[in-house]
Amino acid sequence: MNYMIRSILITVLLVLGIASSIDQTKEAHAFSGRLLERGSSGDDVIELQARLQWVGFYNGKIDGIFGYGTYWALRNFQEQWGLEVDGILGPDTRNKLVNASQYNRDWVHQQIAQGNQFTHYGNTPLAQQTKPGRGSNGGQGQNNASTVQLPVKYSERDLQLMANAVYGEARGEPYEGQVAVAAVILNRLESPDFPNTISEIIFQPRAFTAVADGQIWLTPNERAKQAVLDAMNGWDPSENALYYFNPNTATSAWIWSRPQIKKIGEHIFCY
Amino acid sequence: MKNAVYLLSIAVLALGLYSFEVRNENKQLERTVHAQYTNALTSASETLSTLQTSVNQSLLFQDKNALNKELDNIWRLSDQLRSSIGSLPLNQEVANNWIKYIGNIGDEARIAAEKGSYEEWHDKMGVVATNLRSLSNEWEVATSRYFENDGDFSKWQRVLNNETEDEQFTNIAQNLKTYGETDFPLTASESDWLKKRELQNLNDKEITKEQAIEVLELLIPNIKDAAYTVTKSRDDAPYPFYHIQFVKGSRMGYADITVKGGHIISFLSERPVQEDKNMSTQDIKDLTYEFVKNAGYKDVEIVEFRENHEVYHIAAARVYNDAIVYPDGIQFKVSKASGELLGLNAMEYVQKETIKEQPVNPIDWKQFFRPGTIVEEESMIYTENDLFELRLCYEVIARYDSDYNETFRVVVDAENHEVLKVEYMQ
Repeated sequence: MNYMIRSILITVLLVLGIASSIDQTKEAHAFSGRLLERGSSGDDVIELQARLQWVGFYNGKIDGIFGYGTYWALRNFQEQWGLEVDGILGPDTRNKLVNASQYNRDWVHQQIAQGNQFTHYGNTPLAQQTKPGRGSNGGQGQNNASTVQLPVKYSERDLQLMANAVYGEARGEPYEGQVAVAAVILNRLESPDFPNTISEIIFQPRAFTAVADGQIWLTPNERAKQAVLDAMNGWDPSENALYYFNPNTATSAWIWSRPQIKKIGEHIFCY
Repeated sequence: MKNAVYLLSIAVLALGLYSFEVRNENKQLERTVHAQYTNALTSASETLSTLQTSVNQSLLFQDKNALNKELDNIWRLSDQLRSSIGSLPLNQEVANNWIKYIGNIGDEARIAAEKGSYEEWHDKMGVVATNLRSLSNEWEVATSRYFENDGDFSKWQRVLNNETEDEQFTNIAQNLKTYGETDFPLTASESDWLKKRELQNLNDKEITKEQAIEVLELLIPNIKDAAYTVTKSRDDAPYPFYHIQFVKGSRMGYADITVKGGHIISFLSERPVQEDKNMSTQDIKDLTYEFVKNAGYKDVEIVEFRENHEVYHIAAARVYNDAIVYPDGIQFKVSKASGELLGLNAMEYVQKETIKEQPVNPIDWKQFFRPGTIVEEESMIYTENDLFELRLCYEVIARYDSDYNETFRVVVDAENHEVLKVEYMQ
């Protein structure tokens, strides 16, 4: 009998020991140690948002982008815990936050990967805080972590559409030429001579060859996306061009009448 | 033999069925496209006719309310028509000139309603109404053939393909251009804006292409002794510049440097594989400020900082009398791994804005915003209004006191308290 009780006790202790070591493994994931502030992004920001949500300071989307929502939440946390209120995650705030909250990294990243809609509050079991996103595998859900930070006036939809256009129109061109094609689209957005939205500009009949021949529907590569991102951030290697054409294939006499600015790769850029 | 004939007959039959199916699908698609274009064309023609009527009606009224209603209508119709024209398969020149002309009418209506400049509107629109009527008539004649081809898409396409040579369309294009220039000449502020954009006031000494390379190597020492290909901008370019393409090891990129004064206006380098030096955001900011100092941009401050996958995109702007001059901006692209400068865009900064004195009238934010809105930050900035005039403004970061802390950037003219921008901050 004694032997049996001893065995049960040893088993319970072993299970508790393993459980606590698993918990410590989770905590070992706590932040990489870098300072986080408005404009930061990535896994550390996902952890920051999840931890702030755990303690009830953050109610927004866990997307890995340190925007104003995260900023105010962090300031409120700092204020409540008697820390310096600067909206920056430095060593002091980090330690307090790690001690005050829990972070289930694997669970959070699984939700993001599956595109689920989820929250990470500490007062409710996590299993009750998730629901599948759109699509059977949840791959199109709304909680996917954002991969890029864009200037305020552009959306990720704009980025995707423009990347398709750039890839379809200029995938064989040098990087500069790809940024220039993206810049032409954005210059048209500013010009009174063209429609008012990126979508209307790209799909304006006869405007882009890639739309006419269907190449706009090819999946763009990372380089095309980077080119669009640079153009959205202000770069314009075309130097304010509104048109471009390939002199070897252009059939319109009108396009040759446009004042030319420069040639990049196979394209001549003009007003 | 018998089997071969049998198999061949089956293959011919299958091929026949397949081609019949494909032909049917094509026909169906043609009909859909035809119907959509005809619908868009009809809708554009009707909106044009309504707009023309509305412009005429606006000339009837002196009463503020009656006129404002008409101006609002004109602004809405102009926007609608711009969108309709943009979705038509017209040649680029006709489409551009239409969109611009119609847009100008809408802008004038909006400005007249906002500023109460009704007399100016009446003066201008007398001529515009006449020109719009004539354009509307020409448009009706030019597009009539699109409606008389009994559902045959090939005929419709023939009309479309010959449009550039068609006399009616050539007339419309020409008239739109002429009317656009005479009815809506550039205002002084638009002209100033264009001069800045075209670097017309840049009067520095011209440099040679060798000197341009020296400028580049001085600013970006990492590419020293690269292999360069230098070309000059085309003769039609509004400002002459050297276009320098470089390759050095795995680094390749370009820089555009003005011939007058040797100002770098744009630079991008493709990111080579780099050793991760574990840079902090503060390190990156310090490096950016170091570059700013070395480049002689003495009066700029970082205003935005965005971390992306492999790089930081950093925006800076000139500071004048403690106010940020947003139109005089510079953008930097810095490698996250090494802190190396991968891009610079200083086009706007090269030709600085001329800043005029402007009165500042205090504003009571408690009266301006609804209760529950918290003004978190307030600063002074310069930005352009809709008329391309540089205005001294209050920039306010305000948030709702709610669970989601929704935050907005609000820009308010410091003199007349007109709201110039409201942006939702993520």
